[in-house]
Amino acid sequence: MKNQLLIIFVLTSSWIGAQTVISGTVTNTKNELIIGANVYLEGTYDGGTTDENGQFSFKTDETGSQILLVSFLSYETFTMAGDVTFMTDLKIKLREDVNTLDAVVLSAGTFQAGDNSKVNVLKPLDVVTTASALGDFVGALQTLPGTTTVAEDGRLFVRGGDANETQIFIDGIRVFTPYSPTTNNAPTRGRYSPFLFDGITFSTGGYSAEFGQALSSVLLLNTIDEPDQEKTDIGIMSVGATLGNTQKWEKSSVSVNASYINLAPYNSIFTNRNDWIEPFETASGEAVFRKKTNTGLIKLYGAFDATNFELIQEDINNEDGLYFKLNNNNLYFNGSYQGVLNDNWSVMGGFSYTHAKNKFNVGDLAIKDTENSVHTKLKFKNRVSNRFKLYFGAEYFATDFQENFNDLTITDAKYGYNNNIAAVFAEADIFISKSLAFKTGVRGEYSELFKAFNLAPRFSLAYKTSEKSQISLAYGNFYQNPSSNVLKFNQDLKSQNTSHYIFNYQYNQDRKIFRAEAYYKKYDNLVKFSDEFPDFNSTFSNDGTGYAMGIDFFWRDSKSIKNVDYWVSYSLLDTKREYNNFPEKAQPNFANPHNLSVVGKYWINNWRSQVGFSYAYASGRTYTNPYEEGFLNSKTKSFNSLSVNWSYLLSPQKILYASINNVLGFKNVNGYQYANSPNMNGNFDRRALRPATDQFFFVGFFWTISEDKKSNQLDNL
Amino acid sequence: MKHLIIIVTLLFSGLVSAQSNYEKGMQKAFELWGSNPIEAANLFERIANAENDNWLPAYYAAQVNITSSFGEKDEQKLSAQLKKAQDLINDATAISQDNAEILVLQALLHTAWVAYDGATYGMTLSPKVVELYTKAKALAPDNPRVVYCNAEWNMGSARFFGQDVTPYCKDLEKAVELFANFKPETPFHPNWGKDRTIMILESCGK
Repeated sequence: MKNQLLIIFVLTSSWIGAQTVISGTVTNTKNELIIGANVYLEGTYDGGTTDENGQFSFKTDETGSQILLVSFLSYETFTMAGDVTFMTDLKIKLREDVNTLDAVVLSAGTFQAGDNSKVNVLKPLDVVTTASALGDFVGALQTLPGTTTVAEDGRLFVRGGDANETQIFIDGIRVFTPYSPTTNNAPTRGRYSPFLFDGITFSTGGYSAEFGQALSSVLLLNTIDEPDQEKTDIGIMSVGATLGNTQKWEKSSVSVNASYINLAPYNSIFTNRNDWIEPFETASGEAVFRKKTNTGLIKLYGAFDATNFELIQEDINNEDGLYFKLNNNNLYFNGSYQGVLNDNWSVMGGFSYTHAKNKFNVGDLAIKDTENSVHTKLKFKNRVSNRFKLYFGAEYFATDFQENFNDLTITDAKYGYNNNIAAVFAEADIFISKSLAFKTGVRGEYSELFKAFNLAPRFSLAYKTSEKSQISLAYGNFYQNPSSNVLKFNQDLKSQNTSHYIFNYQYNQDRKIFRAEAYYKKYDNLVKFSDEFPDFNSTFSNDGTGYAMGIDFFWRDSKSIKNVDYWVSYSLLDTKREYNNFPEKAQPNFANPHNLSVVGKYWINNWRSQVGFSYAYASGRTYTNPYEEGFLNSKTKSFNSLSVNWSYLLSPQKILYASINNVLGFKNVNGYQYANSPNMNGNFDRRALRPATDQFFFVGFFWTISEDKKSNQLDNL
Repeated sequence: MKHLIIIVTLLFSGLVSAQSNYEKGMQKAFELWGSNPIEAANLFERIANAENDNWLPAYYAAQVNITSSFGEKDEQKLSAQLKKAQDLINDATAISQDNAEILVLQALLHTAWVAYDGATYGMTLSPKVVELYTKAKALAPDNPRVVYCNAEWNMGSARFFGQDVTPYCKDLEKAVELFANFKPETPFHPNWGKDRTIMILESCGK
């Protein structure tokens, strides 16, 4: 009987065919067993899954040379070619995929907001639901550490740097005039509506070699690749109105957005420290066109805005106040293409054109200036492997600035400059493992104006210290040509320079994030000039120097308390510099040692409402007191402001929104203006520099009309 | 007696081998699905690799990954699983464009993120989901899965906004009707969802 069975068994197996058994064990590089890996011969059905001992074994009818594949989630797919008869007792080690959620991130100096990044500090929604931000993305970024509160200005001041040291890029292409002009006691806003952007990267130092002409910081904005649906957005606000529309086709889409702001009704109800002749009025329009090609994406972005106002402002030297009138037209166009060339190569190219025209009258002066600027860039990416990526490219900036000056004695003085810069950059991302990564690059810039070449190395490293935490280091050299207020009078200068040294610790756990970042920044070749305001008679030099050092803390928790999301930022800053008209090293008036910001949001389901607050504290700012010795020798009292907002969903598509800035009515002082000459009693009169209004009230109604009847503008408020 | 068994077995296996490899493989994968979804997903993936012009194995491999990610609390695991599913959906779409079944699966993938963290993903992914169902409906208005998945999604959103879900019960009733008349193209074409539709309908409006 046994024999019979054996015969049948032999017969059966030979009848089925000569099969080969393929077997082995799968582990990771730390020799830990991998359970559930898919092991198979390419192009066949033959394969198996590893068991709880990491072992697999399967039979195949295939013969000769075959390709064995082993794949598992979060690991790189293993490939082995060979004769099937040798595929027994294999010991296969899978390497971790470095592109997974838990891999180390090169994050020193960088804050990201968006869906794609692994270390989101802000969500896109936050730009607009932060109480103090009033829908301005710059306002939301001011709640992050590393920024200082300069309430009357509204631009970004990063780590002891002035506002010119931060550059803004849209889809990788430079924006030359990112802010709307305003009076000197009301904060400006970013020109661009958050509505059209879905990714924001804010770097407070140590950024990539791709970006130059920024001493302190870059802000990268990306327009939406593909809108979700066709819709119309209508907004009616206490200060104006907005209208947006999106149309989609098979391969392309268009979004347009228009807004009109007029502060006349607001100024007639609430008292204002300015004496308005023509109210603040701005009209703007933006459009984005996107087209998908077979291997890439073309985006065209255009924005136009016009701002006018005329007023008389208080002035200590002028009893009747100082007359100021402004008329600004700004046109920005940006086109970019991103495409895949083959499996390993991709390309990005872009172009931007800015045309900005300002006409302003200050007292008896009449100034007209025109800026035409162009930026082009071409960048290649070579993905050599999952662990080694190479980027390189070239770019060219051209600026033509012309000014026309008139006053009681001078008529029609014309002057200006051309500031053209060519640059090349190369950078590599190297992942040694899931826990250790480097980014290293270099940037070369040639300034046609100064006939000088600069070489700026950049380096950063990140190391994962535990499952949830990592440390990063970054170093970089950064160059920037002086700004137009200097270059228009003198072009015999050098590029200004900074070096950044950054150490960062980050802890990231399930919607909780903690960051601490220490930095040291050294300034060289800063421009100095001899008069209070530069002009043709001033003497200029590059002898200015300075430093900034400090530590930034950030904590965000969206998890611990149900329906509550909050973040806290604290920045400690020590900085001194000698530049512009400074007679000695001093702490500039835009840099204060302590800045604290707390933002909280609470979603109340029963009320279909989100309520939020935002509190900012900033220690006193410096000013020069003529009664004391020295320059910038005194400090104002500290700055405090609490803002609250409330958004109520009338229906999923109709939102009522209200906010109050500085609800407690703190009497903030931004500085003091002293009289040029003493009064009859031999004293210098002074005037506190106060905001145009202490508080600001905002009410708006936002209505979205779309197919799905669900989307709304909550993310645009 | 033993001989007889052996002969019958041999005969039977001879009969089975008359089926194509594809049919055997798919059948095996469906059998595995209940007991060992990982194995099933792996097998579907192997078939997908061997059958370059058939969208079904990739579709099912994606579906196994998506279905098992509902209820997953570990974000890393969820993200890895859904990334895998997305790759498979991309493969399936490359083979069969404008396919309502694949669009529904894509919508379910987004829904898995929304289910994991509505506060973070709801606002950004909801419009995408709605757009997918709109497109699927235009392509295949009588596909029961399009109707039922869309209804279930709408009910979830209505609950989130504290609104009445009863208007969508009608859609479910329609889906049940469509299920009754639905004939898959081949035995391996998608034919799931009837039981769940009836289950939700039973509790509808209650």
